[in-house]
Amino acid sequence: MEIWRNDLNYRQGKIDSGVWAGVVITIAIAAGFCAVLFFDTTGQKGSGLSEEYVYDISQYTKIDPAMILYRQAGPTIAAGLKSTKAIAVRGEIYIAGDKEIIVVDGAGKAKRKITLDAEPTCITLKEDGTIVVGMGDALVVINPEGQERTRWAVEEANARLTSVALSPEIIFAADAVNGLIYEYDWAGKLIRTIGQKSDGKGKNGFVIPSPYFDIAMAPDGLLRVVDPGRHLIVAYTINGDREWSWGTATPAIEGFSGCCNPVNFAILPDGSFVTIEKGLVRVKVYDAEGKFIGVVAGAEQLEWTQQQQVCNTPEQCQSKGFDVAVDNDGRIYVLDTVKNVVRIFEKK
Amino acid sequence: MDEKKNQYSRRDILRHGVWGACAAGVAGTGAILASKSRGQKYVWQIDPYKCTACGNCATFCVLQESAVKCVHAYAMCGYCDLCTGYYRPEPKELNTAAENQLCPRGAIKRTYVEDPYFEYTIDETKCNGCGKCVMGCTSFGNGSLFLQIRHDRCVGCNECAIAIACPENAIVRVPAEEPYLLKDRR
Repeated sequence: MEIWRNDLNYRQGKIDSGVWAGVVITIAIAAGFCAVLFFDTTGQKGSGLSEEYVYDISQYTKIDPAMILYRQAGPTIAAGLKSTKAIAVRGEIYIAGDKEIIVVDGAGKAKRKITLDAEPTCITLKEDGTIVVGMGDALVVINPEGQERTRWAVEEANARLTSVALSPEIIFAADAVNGLIYEYDWAGKLIRTIGQKSDGKGKNGFVIPSPYFDIAMAPDGLLRVVDPGRHLIVAYTINGDREWSWGTATPAIEGFSGCCNPVNFAILPDGSFVTIEKGLVRVKVYDAEGKFIGVVAGAEQLEWTQQQQVCNTPEQCQSKGFDVAVDNDGRIYVLDTVKNVVRIFEKK
Repeated sequence: MDEKKNQYSRRDILRHGVWGACAAGVAGTGAILASKSRGQKYVWQIDPYKCTACGNCATFCVLQESAVKCVHAYAMCGYCDLCTGYYRPEPKELNTAAENQLCPRGAIKRTYVEDPYFEYTIDETKCNGCGKCVMGCTSFGNGSLFLQIRHDRCVGCNECAIAIACPENAIVRVPAEEPYLLKDRR
């Protein structure tokens, strides 16, 4: 009778509690396996956001190979510095960074080292080998033997000198913080300032959103100044009169990309321009009137093939604009301030 | 005899005194540590110098609308006319038309200041923390737009889901008294 009752209970759908427990445990284990296999808790499969949320500039990183007019000459030169800032060339290559200037030959062989008492921010060379270095708010003149001859500080508060250019009588120094260019004689006496909003010559002053403000003296005797926020290269007389400008804001290859480019430039012996952009790192050549000629190197030629851009961290993106210099033979020297190396490019 | 039993020797007093001092020391140290651990509260925050704006913050937060929002360091901003955090890479015109804007949610407001400067402010009610504008600003500009966990929204999970999903380990514990890691001019 008891057996019959149990059998009846079973037939009526009553299941042993042990069976229930087994089913629950099995489902839990299966759910656990599914979670491990199908759910991305560590974010390795990406955010899952739609294409609309993806910031994609890959189409602008592709450079038509026919546009690349230069090739790398010789090996990549390691600067031997932790944080490179600027480059200048006159027979030998002068690389400024850390608290030093390293001088190497074209093959990368170290020739000498000049120790500084602060981090350099810009450098240029006079015909006779005299070195002029900007160090924050100070300008330092160093003789060809590496001895300091004179120095002076910029009077403007919070000045940060990001470029120096020379004429036989004048040292031009660009201050990215105040958006001004100072003209000094070789004794350090201030002659005039270019770019003040009220002087009527600098128009509305320079627009400098990020700490890059480059200048260079052109063979025609006019000073060239980058107005990065307006994507222009502007010609000024040494008296501070604005003459003309060129430049277009576009991520297309013929223009300057982003909010504020080019970050640096150099002028070839024939008067044409070599420009460097940040963001989309591109080294390009324009003729003396500003017409786009071709490309020296893009991210791929600068050996950043795995990435669209040459920065990994936000800090690198913001503070690592490359620098460029040229020699009398038209070779182009690109200082990679992220990898702290120099690449020399010559025409194909 | 009994009187002698009830009397403590000097050695006993010394022994009990040393034990008592030790016990008091241990108890005191424990009390100090306990009070310190109670006073120091920590919260989750994004280190803006490690963050690569991958987008995981928008989708991995346990909240339906992420606690991560874009914030703006005005002291760093260039007030650019062509702001790469506001505009698509190749805008048709530099105006506020939706077709030119980078943010899929229209969460950034552009306001004229003076020629040629514009101010950009974040509407947090629209921002989902995707970081698209942060990518644009960081890549081309000076990185004044960045992501932060907003503590008026964060529920303070013991194990932050975004921290686990962050590929750069950019989400860290910070003291609750200073819950934000803000960018400044470096």
